Amino acid sequence: MKPVIVVHGGAGRIFKDREEGARSGVTRAALKGYSILKQGGNALDAVEEAVTSMEDDPHFNAGCGSVLNEKGEVEMDAIIMDGKNLASGAVSAVKCIANPIKLARLVMEKTEHMLLTDHGANLFAKAMGVPEIPGEKLITERSRERWSKNLEDPGTVGAVAIDNEGNVACATSTGGLTNKLVGRVGDSACIGSGGYADNHVGASSTTGHGESMMKVVLARLLLYHMEQGMSPVEAADTALNYMKTRVGGLGGVIVVSNSGDWAARFSTKQMSWATVKDDQLQYGIYTGEIHTSSVAEALESK
Amino acid sequence: MGTEPVLVVHGGAWAVPDEFAERSILGVKNAVKSGFAVLEMGGSSMKAVEMAVQALEDDTVFDAGHGAVLNADGYVELDAIIMNGKTLAAGAVSCIRNISNPVTFACSVLEKTPYVMLTGLGANQFAKKLGIPQVPVEELVTDHAKAEWEQYRKYKKTTKVHDTVGAVAIDCEGNMACATSTGGITNKMVGRVGDTPVIGSGGYADNLVGAVSATGHGESIMKVTLARLILFHMEQGKTPEEAADSALHYMEKRVHGRGGVIVVSKTGEWTARFTTKRMAWAGIKEGVLMYGLNPGETIQEIIKPHK
Repeated sequence: MKPVIVVHGGAGRIFKDREEGARSGVTRAALKGYSILKQGGNALDAVEEAVTSMEDDPHFNAGCGSVLNEKGEVEMDAIIMDGKNLASGAVSAVKCIANPIKLARLVMEKTEHMLLTDHGANLFAKAMGVPEIPGEKLITERSRERWSKNLEDPGTVGAVAIDNEGNVACATSTGGLTNKLVGRVGDSACIGSGGYADNHVGASSTTGHGESMMKVVLARLLLYHMEQGMSPVEAADTALNYMKTRVGGLGGVIVVSNSGDWAARFSTKQMSWATVKDDQLQYGIYTGEIHTSSVAEALESK
Repeated sequence: MGTEPVLVVHGGAWAVPDEFAERSILGVKNAVKSGFAVLEMGGSSMKAVEMAVQALEDDTVFDAGHGAVLNADGYVELDAIIMNGKTLAAGAVSCIRNISNPVTFACSVLEKTPYVMLTGLGANQFAKKLGIPQVPVEELVTDHAKAEWEQYRKYKKTTKVHDTVGAVAIDCEGNMACATSTGGITNKMVGRVGDTPVIGSGGYADNLVGAVSATGHGESIMKVTLARLILFHMEQGKTPEEAADSALHYMEKRVHGRGGVIVVSKTGEWTARFTTKRMAWAGIKEGVLMYGLNPGETIQEIIKPHK
């Protein structure tokens, strides 16, 4: 199986001055994930690496750069899922750690549970030796500005991958909604909504209006359409269209099938995304925008 | 010309010990009657499932609200969900403390916020703002739950694995709803959240298909997004019973987990199925109350002559 990775940096409104940062952030994340796959690494490690890269990147609403809740603090949700055995780990409303996706992975591998929340998630992080960082370290000028002006959010980050053994995985991470009520949990921590992975079908990660995605269980819905025979593009468009007509919500999805086909589709104006397959990098932000270059060229220019 | 209303409840899929059997059956019968009274008067399926689950939460024989089990730190942490099949609106709460009726609080999340899910401290702060009474943990914890927790701490095992409660309904206007509520598993990690409040796993309702409430091994239910899976099967033409059995069988084969579900379809067909040793359940439709506890068992009572 030729490995494939697809990442997204959020669907929504990306201001012109943020576009370059978004494009370079998703391409960096995709290249990092791909280098793991290329060396024979597994899909789970690849998606974790890609999402970690975007959590560390202050351009995105995840980890550092997360939007602020109504109290001006950062609370994050994340999920990771292994398509082989449907194992999954997630955290919701976790604070003061740099990489929620890593903590989600620890939930999956070191506990019998699938989702830890709030104070309990932080206790677990401590028990695992995950360094606690001051909340301010996650806050950027930009997120403070968005909070005080109550601006719309660019959404979540995520990744899906298939490795050379045919295993699929997904990962999604977010700071949620600007000015959200303390304790509000969105789709990113909810299996089936923020992401889903199943070796029998494929893997998906979603972004957009969280509550709408939860109402239609978007990631699972998309894969269900693929089980019924739709291609990744048809499945993505059908699911996004359903979400728009049934509950009035907009968003974006990335998906990879268990045969290595992929799609990055969105009903919002923009979604930053990037993919690497066959040593070729592709990325975009606007509908219909696709830039292509070889991995070698891309790495050189970085 | 309206739809024939239906209400079904469950009190948890697990090996209900003999000493709880009679109270469990009484409990589900009582709850289904409470909920059905709402439907009979032309009330909504949302109100009906809320009333039914409230009754189950107030009944200490079930692991939800009063009678919930203790986590590793000796606290009661509760989860619940309620969903409106007409609009797909939902309200869910996870890891909330000191609240008697999580399902009612979940309903407030649906009605009073633009959100679907609230968790932990933030959820509790919001409850306070709404004026929902905070009850001391002693009121929620039964001697039984405490004894079990102590036994678990001592012997690292417990023979009793308590479970969840839930309800599904269709009202006279054809609107569907589901609700599920739990106190989790004995000695769970602080902050552990199971399937109950996760939309598509612990419950799902959609007027176009049906409504489901699930119970059993939470992590397995989440892995297969059980509630949504059952409705996918029904969208493909399976009956509620076929869909439930298919999905439960898949869950057992794929992820080695057992559980139970109650399902009602948009045409008012319904079922209660489980792969665990027992599940207390009860349903009312057309003047007939049906209930059971053991596999294959269905007992019928006429509660009023049907016109």
